[in-house]
Amino acid sequence: MLTRLKTQVPLFSMNSYTKLREKLKLSGLSFASTHSHVIRLGRHSRHNSKMAVCIAVIAKENYPLFIRSVPIQNELKFHYTVHTSLDVVEEKISAVGKAMADQRELYLGLLYPTEDYKVYGYVTNSKVKFVIVVDSSNTSLRDNEIRSMFRKLHNSFTDVMCNPFYNPGDTIQSKAFDSIVSAMMVQAS
Amino acid sequence: MAQCVQSVQEFIQDSFVPMVAVLCSEDAEKVTRKNNLNFSELLRPFCRLTSEGHMRDPSNQLQVVKNLRISVNNVVTRPTVPSSGVPGHAHRRLLSEVVLTCQPAEGGVANVITAGDYDLNISATTPWFEAYRESFLQSMPASDHEFLNHYLACLLVVSSSEAVPVEKFLKLSQEQHRIQHSGEYTNPKWFIPNTLKYYVLLHDMSQGDEQRADSVYEDMKQRYGAQGCYLLKVNSRTAAAGADEQIPDPWSQYLHKSSLQSQVQLGPRLSVPSIYLLMYRTSEVDGHDSEEKGDLDNTHPLQLDTPSDTPGSLDALRAVAVETKPPPLATGVAAATSHGACLTLNDHDRIRLFIQEFTFRGLLPHIEKNIRQLNDQLVSRKGLSRSLFSATKKWFGGGKVPEKSIAELKNTSGLLYPPEAPELQIRKMADLCFLVQLYDLAYSCYHTAKKDFLSDQAMLYAAGALEMAAVSAFLQVGAPRPYPAHYMDTAIQTYRDVSKNMVLAERCALLSAEVLKSQAKYSDAATLLIKMTSEDSDLRSALLLEQAAHCFINMRNPMVRKFAFHMILAGHRFSKAGQKRHALRCYCQAMQVYKGKGWSLAEDHINFTIGRQSFTLRQPENAVTAFRHILTNDSQQTSTQQGAFLREYLYVYKNVTGACEVALPQLPLPCINSSATRVYFGHERRLAEGEKQAATHVSLDQEFDRDLAAMWQDLEEQVVAAAKRGVVPATFQSTQCCLNSQTDNLRFPLAVVEEPIIVEVVFRNPLKVPLVLSDLSLLWKFTLKDFNRPQEDSVGDAVPISNEKEASVPRARLKLLPHQTGQLNILGLVYNLASTSSTGDTINSTAASQTEAAEGTSVRGRQDLEIQGPRLNQTKEEKTSVSHGPDRRLDPTITPPMPLLEVFFLQFPTALLCGEIRKAYVEFCNMSRVTLCGLRVASTHPDFFTFGSSSLATPLTPLSPTSFENCSAYKTLATPPGATPGSVAAVTLVSEGDFGSGTGLRGGGIPLGEGTLKPGESTQLPMWLRGPDQEGVHEIHFLFYYESAEKGGKISHRVLRHTVFICASRSLSVRATACRSNTLPEEEEEEEEERNGSMLVFVDVENINSSEAGVREFHIAQVSSSSKQWRLHKCINPAEDKDCKLTSRERGKLCFRATRCKPLKKRSAFPFSKSGVSSLQIITSTTPCADFFFRRCQPLDSLRPPDIAGVVRKCNEVDLDIIILWKAFVVEDNKQVILEGQLHVALQTIDKEACSLTQKEEAQEMVLLKFKPELPPPMTRPSMEQLSHLIKTNLQYPESYSHPFNQKSLCMVPVTLTLSNCSLAQVDVIIDLRHKTTSPESLEVHGSFTWLGQTQFKMQLGAQEVMRVQLRACFLHAGVYNLGTPRVFAKLADQGAMCETSQQTATPALIIIINST
Repeated sequence: MLTRLKTQVPLFSMNSYTKLREKLKLSGLSFASTHSHVIRLGRHSRHNSKMAVCIAVIAKENYPLFIRSVPIQNELKFHYTVHTSLDVVEEKISAVGKAMADQRELYLGLLYPTEDYKVYGYVTNSKVKFVIVVDSSNTSLRDNEIRSMFRKLHNSFTDVMCNPFYNPGDTIQSKAFDSIVSAMMVQAS
Repeated sequence: MAQCVQSVQEFIQDSFVPMVAVLCSEDAEKVTRKNNLNFSELLRPFCRLTSEGHMRDPSNQLQVVKNLRISVNNVVTRPTVPSSGVPGHAHRRLLSEVVLTCQPAEGGVANVITAGDYDLNISATTPWFEAYRESFLQSMPASDHEFLNHYLACLLVVSSSEAVPVEKFLKLSQEQHRIQHSGEYTNPKWFIPNTLKYYVLLHDMSQGDEQRADSVYEDMKQRYGAQGCYLLKVNSRTAAAGADEQIPDPWSQYLHKSSLQSQVQLGPRLSVPSIYLLMYRTSEVDGHDSEEKGDLDNTHPLQLDTPSDTPGSLDALRAVAVETKPPPLATGVAAATSHGACLTLNDHDRIRLFIQEFTFRGLLPHIEKNIRQLNDQLVSRKGLSRSLFSATKKWFGGGKVPEKSIAELKNTSGLLYPPEAPELQIRKMADLCFLVQLYDLAYSCYHTAKKDFLSDQAMLYAAGALEMAAVSAFLQVGAPRPYPAHYMDTAIQTYRDVSKNMVLAERCALLSAEVLKSQAKYSDAATLLIKMTSEDSDLRSALLLEQAAHCFINMRNPMVRKFAFHMILAGHRFSKAGQKRHALRCYCQAMQVYKGKGWSLAEDHINFTIGRQSFTLRQPENAVTAFRHILTNDSQQTSTQQGAFLREYLYVYKNVTGACEVALPQLPLPCINSSATRVYFGHERRLAEGEKQAATHVSLDQEFDRDLAAMWQDLEEQVVAAAKRGVVPATFQSTQCCLNSQTDNLRFPLAVVEEPIIVEVVFRNPLKVPLVLSDLSLLWKFTLKDFNRPQEDSVGDAVPISNEKEASVPRARLKLLPHQTGQLNILGLVYNLASTSSTGDTINSTAASQTEAAEGTSVRGRQDLEIQGPRLNQTKEEKTSVSHGPDRRLDPTITPPMPLLEVFFLQFPTALLCGEIRKAYVEFCNMSRVTLCGLRVASTHPDFFTFGSSSLATPLTPLSPTSFENCSAYKTLATPPGATPGSVAAVTLVSEGDFGSGTGLRGGGIPLGEGTLKPGESTQLPMWLRGPDQEGVHEIHFLFYYESAEKGGKISHRVLRHTVFICASRSLSVRATACRSNTLPEEEEEEEEERNGSMLVFVDVENINSSEAGVREFHIAQVSSSSKQWRLHKCINPAEDKDCKLTSRERGKLCFRATRCKPLKKRSAFPFSKSGVSSLQIITSTTPCADFFFRRCQPLDSLRPPDIAGVVRKCNEVDLDIIILWKAFVVEDNKQVILEGQLHVALQTIDKEACSLTQKEEAQEMVLLKFKPELPPPMTRPSMEQLSHLIKTNLQYPESYSHPFNQKSLCMVPVTLTLSNCSLAQVDVIIDLRHKTTSPESLEVHGSFTWLGQTQFKMQLGAQEVMRVQLRACFLHAGVYNLGTPRVFAKLADQGAMCETSQQTATPALIIIINST
């Protein structure tokens, strides 16, 4: 897992660099869930995994409008995960084809599983993407529940867009939206 | 996966080649050593056969073998790699070294891939990966389940210089046999029990006897057959011959790798440190050799004679080099000429021929024979049924019962066949076929073998067979069957999970990925590669991840983000594997995707890593750039994170700049709000100096106020107009002392030499951590320009004057003092930047942070100040585009010296009573070295002050303020004795021009002694102030204008601003009314002019001062008037002899009579008439009284043509100004102070009250705006009210009249009706006597009287004509009668249309008729 980018070490020796490198582990992010020998850290015991660990809203132009993850976990990792998932989103959209684009379902389903997470996607008609990352150990979440989460998110997002003071394209800073997202997120214990 | 140089077929072919061992005698070794090569190295460049070979397959078909390569290696009896799945340490070293040395070429060709809105610059090839793959495959350990890299043949090499070469051959042959069959060595492994032995006689042309060699060769041919031996002649280059011959060096591309490999082969014998040393050795030698070569080139070509000595010297050098520094990176293979130095091109050809001979005559027939043998065996066995085969296997299984594998093999799950097991024979045959490109046959053999192994549950063997089956299926010409990808997957999984042999799994994955790539199955390839990444090898994971990333980008729909993400993962693994360069490259490539797309957290992370990697790779510039990005972009990181970034940046930055102070690099922090930069020209102001109070002027501490600026500009325009005789020059530009974003910065500002320029820079800290700036100074450029002045000594220097930190809006002011004229450009800012200590106390005091900065990491850098001008929005083009105008704030032109005025105020009050007159002093001081002249002043309140009359040259009050103590500001005159105070009305005529003409008031000149101020000179002038009429706080602005005595400078004039705040408190309120007096002048004999004009003036004076404690009482000292037509006569107060005193809230009334005086011809002269109430007469016609009077009242000239309205109005106009001079007794600090003041009342209309205070208008209530068509302007028609004042009537009659009614019943009284025309026009008058008195009651009571005679008169009165009409009233009874019954109608003579208006009746005229009996 990605540990936090802690850089408290003063920079006076090359030695400190090596130490820092140790801290900057970026391992365990490969997408093959078939790896049996990768040791899983006891992360799952840390929270009650009922809901999402990361929720992101991404603009049509693929920059983040809103991204929120469970605070104790590494934000950076989720940023990377969400960003990478955009490729899959695009693939899925383009797979539908031009003619069918109108009847396309907004919910894209599971984008891909990583070792620890499942990434789900949803694309509005205006090509705004919603991405929800859930813990893959979380078996209680059914497809239907994910779907309803997305629908809720979409509704709330529509409300944000309806706000005349919201400038489309700006990052979302809405309390209502925040609270909707927070309700969907795993509460960090 | 990146593109490769080789095609897939080539790659796979080259991965599996026939292996040939070499056993070399010592003498032969020596011969090759001359070339700095061993025998196998000598052969290596020629191991690829250029010509086609032919062989027959088991079915006797002739097959072509194309492009065959063989691998020749020295026999090494130690295992290079433990045959377990884990590669050894040395092996890893080798691989990492290979990858390390293979770096992308600097500025190499990169192709641009456009995916969506991304344009990525990615190198299409990854040579390091290919190098890695090649080394990896070459160093594959030989294993038991496959035979591909087992030795097929052995070259026995003996030198011709050997005493008995044949004996030596025998020895070597025995040696080979011993190695293969004694069982002492598990390594190397041999393909077939009877290995092909090929005897090579090596002849050194430079040394040995050629004939002897030939004879020995003949002997050998006899013994071993012509096909089994060879005479190789080398080293034919003689010392003299080849001096200038250019020999290509085919070894260079092989040798580096091979030398590494040989070290690795040596490796396990040595302890770990020595491996390091060896590694360094090679590169060191290389480096040295190239150096040596350079030397040789420089000295003499003859020195090439001694190449044979080189090895020895090299050895010595190696020993030396061992303890020196680590190798320079990527030296490449520089030791070009030292290899094969004794070989001519002929020798090269000989070697090539040798290999060809060996392969075609020796190796291929040998293989052919063996395939045939194996095939025969298999065919013979085919007779047995499969089931029987397996049954026998079970029954006679003793031989092939799975032996318990030894621990390090870890092949716990599978069988271990003995070497001669029949299953392995198939495999062996398959491998042989594969090596000689018989892929059809190979595939069917592998397929069979696979089935056998699987049925035996020999998983490792099965996996091997599967792998090779898949490969050979792929390589089959014409591809009769599709590539079985699932074979590969199974193989990989088996290798990895069952056999735990990662090396084999990796090989398999590499092959599979390459095949998939060739079939454009990038997604599958990527998955495969990603699956192969694991914790155990960072280097492998890194390389595979990178390849996976390339797969993603090469897909039909490029997956850019996946590419980037995997690049980051690869970069991370590279850095873990110590491949910093590769790591950096990966991050940089990934950066292209993340850059500027809003993923700031990821971007920061990448930038940070790039920064670190660049720094460790000694590319500090790049590191600095990367760190800059983290800091400049609005970071979303936490404050601790930012602090860490900052510290790191500073550290790196410090290492970059080092001692280089000349061209300081730009610092990203803190942000400079460049548009908020303010530039101030001039000295800093010291506002108070003792009791002197300097003019406030402009200072940097003031906020810019648009209204104020406009006001100042307006004032300046006025004063300039006044100075230029009423015309503002076209080039006029208002002086701007302080430039900011709102001022007009289009022109180059003008600064004066030797006067400082202060630049205020506003910083913004984008981080959440404090920054410390110190040692700020300005960076500037100066161009000398001669403005007709000799040049002076030195140019200005930058002095930091303040540095404020951590304030809410931190700003710094820096001063620049120009010493010469020219053009100055302020370019930027140089400063030290440091972060505060990480201890957490962020808000340090200045001192603390400075000391901290001194010891902590503080770096020096610059930031440019570039100010963007305002956006242009004039033309259409400008409106549609975004273009900005210039801003020249920071480019002042330094002009020759100008005078510099300093104004001080002495005894300047802050609070005044309304109308109070106070005297203060102004000191003008010329601070410069240039004479000053043309001093003028303009003010927003010109009625507030006066410098006295210019005509009365002698100042009336002492010039020095010291003697001023309770001395009246007014000039007084003792009343002549005998004259009753108040009764005298002295008249003085004063010209208005003496007190500064009306227009001259604004921007008036200041009376200086000689009109100039010499350098350093100062002069004091008295100044009278008069409290404003309105109570409250008044902001009064002065603008002093002055010029240089030397004309023609760039700056025409300079100004000095001053603002004072005066608090005015209420004093007296004066209301005055004028009434027409109906009485005729008492003295009939007075001048004709006066007969008509006489008025009563009532002056109501009220003390409205609210501070009872301060002001005790007011005295009305004098009342003066000023009018062209009227003059005030004596006071007709009831208590006229008393002083008029008013205590708080008291009200007094004064009455005066005013008479009309001769209309004066001189318009500008104002007669002052006085009607004092105190004994001392104040001369009101002098300074300051008159000054303030004139300043106050702007005579309104009725310039309009005399229309009827004007004419009518005129008759009601008074135009009399009354000046009330007062004294106030004020207690101040237990001392009684007498204050003096004056109030003005302008009487304009009769019967209309005028007040000294203009009543404050009630704040108008908000009215809804209504848009209506505008009403036509009302007719300028005089109102009835005005018209009724045209004629003044007066009845003259005796007050009482005695009449003996007894004698005469009718009493006739003569009454004179005086009609005086008030207007200046002819008036038609009708007098009607018929009317009854208005009040009917009086009629009843008193009876009536009648007018006798003519009852209606019609007449015409000229302008101001007085006419008397004699009337007679007839009374019947005694009594009191009102005579005021005549009605007078009047109309203007020429206005026929107008009807007559009834004129105001006079007061009741009562007459008493007494019956005198």
